[in-house]
Amino acid sequence: MMTVDLRQQRPRMPLTELPVGATGRVCALDGEAGLCQRLREMGFCESAVIEKVSGVHTLLCQLCGTRIALSDRAAKHVVVELIRGGV
Amino acid sequence: MSEPIKSTAPTRAPVYALVGNPNCGKSTLFNALTGLKQKIGNYPGVTVEKKMGTAYSQHGQPLTIIDLPGAYSLAARSPDEAVLRDVLLGRRADTPMPDRIVCIADATNLERNLYLVHQILDLGRPVILVLNMMDVAERAGLVVRAARMEKELGIPVIPCEAVNGKGLVELKLAMSRHDLPLSRHSWAIPAPIAPAVSEIAASLSENDQRAPLIARAEALLLLTDQDSVRVAGSRPLSARTVEILRSWEKRWEGQGTDWAGSLVNSRYDAITALCAHVIERGGEKTGASASDRIDSVVTHPVWGWAVLGAVMTALFLSIFTFAQVPMDWIGDHMAKLADAVKHTMPAGDLRDLITDGAIGGVGSVITFLPQILILFFFIGLLESTGYMARAAFIMDRLMSRVGLNGKSFIPMLSSYACAIPGIMATRTIEDTKDRLVTILVAPLMSCSARLPVYLLLIAALFPSTTVPIGAKVGIMISMYALGTLGAFGFAWLFKRTLLKGEPPLMIMELPPYRLPKLRDVALHMCERAWMFLKRAGTIILGISIILWFLTAYPKAPAGTTDQQQLAQSFAGIAGHAIEPVIKPLGFDWQIGIGLITSFAAREVFVSSMGVIFNAQTSDDNTAPLHDALLAAKWPDGRALFTPLVCITLMVFYVFAMQCISTVAVVRRETNSWRWPLFQIAYMTGTAWLVCLIIYQTGRAFGF
Repeated sequence: MMTVDLRQQRPRMPLTELPVGATGRVCALDGEAGLCQRLREMGFCESAVIEKVSGVHTLLCQLCGTRIALSDRAAKHVVVELIRGGV
Repeated sequence: MSEPIKSTAPTRAPVYALVGNPNCGKSTLFNALTGLKQKIGNYPGVTVEKKMGTAYSQHGQPLTIIDLPGAYSLAARSPDEAVLRDVLLGRRADTPMPDRIVCIADATNLERNLYLVHQILDLGRPVILVLNMMDVAERAGLVVRAARMEKELGIPVIPCEAVNGKGLVELKLAMSRHDLPLSRHSWAIPAPIAPAVSEIAASLSENDQRAPLIARAEALLLLTDQDSVRVAGSRPLSARTVEILRSWEKRWEGQGTDWAGSLVNSRYDAITALCAHVIERGGEKTGASASDRIDSVVTHPVWGWAVLGAVMTALFLSIFTFAQVPMDWIGDHMAKLADAVKHTMPAGDLRDLITDGAIGGVGSVITFLPQILILFFFIGLLESTGYMARAAFIMDRLMSRVGLNGKSFIPMLSSYACAIPGIMATRTIEDTKDRLVTILVAPLMSCSARLPVYLLLIAALFPSTTVPIGAKVGIMISMYALGTLGAFGFAWLFKRTLLKGEPPLMIMELPPYRLPKLRDVALHMCERAWMFLKRAGTIILGISIILWFLTAYPKAPAGTTDQQQLAQSFAGIAGHAIEPVIKPLGFDWQIGIGLITSFAAREVFVSSMGVIFNAQTSDDNTAPLHDALLAAKWPDGRALFTPLVCITLMVFYVFAMQCISTVAVVRRETNSWRWPLFQIAYMTGTAWLVCLIIYQTGRAFGF
């Protein structure tokens, strides 16, 4: 129960809408199965922490020590909660 | 846990496979282990590079080492990854199944790297885990407890800095051990999936003759990956196994369970638990790293483009400026060589064969070696510093406009050097349609073989030395730009007509910036130079000699001019045969001979022109080729190589598919004749049409 309450306090959004410079934690992947598996294998799995470095159309993210570029059409299937930074 | 199972000592030279994520330093380690004892080839049926080498154990016994392509997962999505999977599972008849596996993981990024390691541990073969880049991890404030990891996993874990050669002795010691332990690793397969895994595993060992441990690993793999990527040379599954697999898939589909997702997640759970135990994070990283600071400029929406533009301009400028001196030197010496032969040998067919055929043909191509070296130096530099991936990132938006993703930019950029490595680089593209489109348009990027043609024609276009270098570079850049625009245009067209599909998604890792390893770049340049010279010494020499025969025979009656001799020779007959087709483009039959012969390789055009036009100069001095071209005339006395014809001819080479090696690679890569034939038709067709428009418009304006 506790964790659910905590999570609800944090705003959730697709990775595309995470402000540049902010850090988010992955809550869910909502795309089709093949894409989700690819995202997971690249490290975008539930509870991974992502820092968005830059980008509008193609995003640049810092994810467990590596820099990953991904297109917005993939990023919109990654639901994150804001944990640090942004407004 | 019971005692770790000991594997039996192998009797032949043990086969080790090197496995790891892309950018984990696998190749550096391979080079360090095997030195120069490497054999590089291709896996039959696919153009995935097969690298094998021999290392020696601490006791001096040979160890065979296979360097496998980098991948993030055993679930294959591209031919590259399929080869990795098939070799490890012993599905390929052409490669020995590795007895032991060396997994390389980037210590700075252990969570992600361990995913593949985790899959490998399932294979039930002795594994040695190498934690590479420990120095970088330390600087980033990460402490990785290798000994603790060794205890957890039950396999040797070796901290290593492959770049500095640290940890190599320890690795060799581990590889020399006869009794490598099997991993103690176990992880909880989600309960609803367990019966499917055991049923498929049973069928695999019964119907597909797999060893029990491999069968379990393969069953897990089949459940996460629908086995979509199949490459030539791998053995297919038995019908019974496929049937069982389908029935489970159907059952789950009915229940709406995401079995693939839950398998991946439970693997990550096991990895997270392990990492929590072995990694200690120092304090928060202080400030931005050097890579971050460079990236803030290089991937900036405005500055990024400026940097890319500057890099490309520097590339083309240096091709012109730095190459001039060595080019003149080679050219002078070739001419001197030809003159020396002329003076020492009695006049006759043999002398002409050597001077006009061999030296004239090969010499005119070898002159361009410096330029090609500079081009490969730049491409090597861009790759080894990590800038290539940034260029792909910047280009992604533009590429997505034409329906491709940024990843396709890397093969296209390499195609500036040569379409063959470019086309081979497409194997990292996951989507088959995108891969095909990239293969189809890659040869439109002006490759180094076109350089000699452009340079010769630019020299003929601006014969005087007073023309500023800017004009020459400008023409050159516009040819490259034309080819690039053509590639984008056709990619756009193909994605909308022939190979319709969703614009692809890009997920790509950007490696951290590294100082270029000049040794690697130099090695690569030497390799390329050698290939170029070998080609000049074999194919081009052969074609030059054949062409000389074709221009010299049948012999015209004595007293005829050289021009008449050429006209009635075999080559002349062929040139005349295609003249009606190319005359509207402003080309005569002599250029026609060049077009026909250069179908073998574009630079042959230059050697052919050397043979054809030098054959007509009967004096004892070998003149520069572009002067010979300027002296060429139509039968009615008009100059042949007018500025308009030079431009038209360059444009023809921008578009036309004039390269047998590329055709062969595309044939092998797409596994059918359909695509290479289509490629020849569309490219050469476009070349003819565009040239027709340029030449006729130019004529109408009075040029």
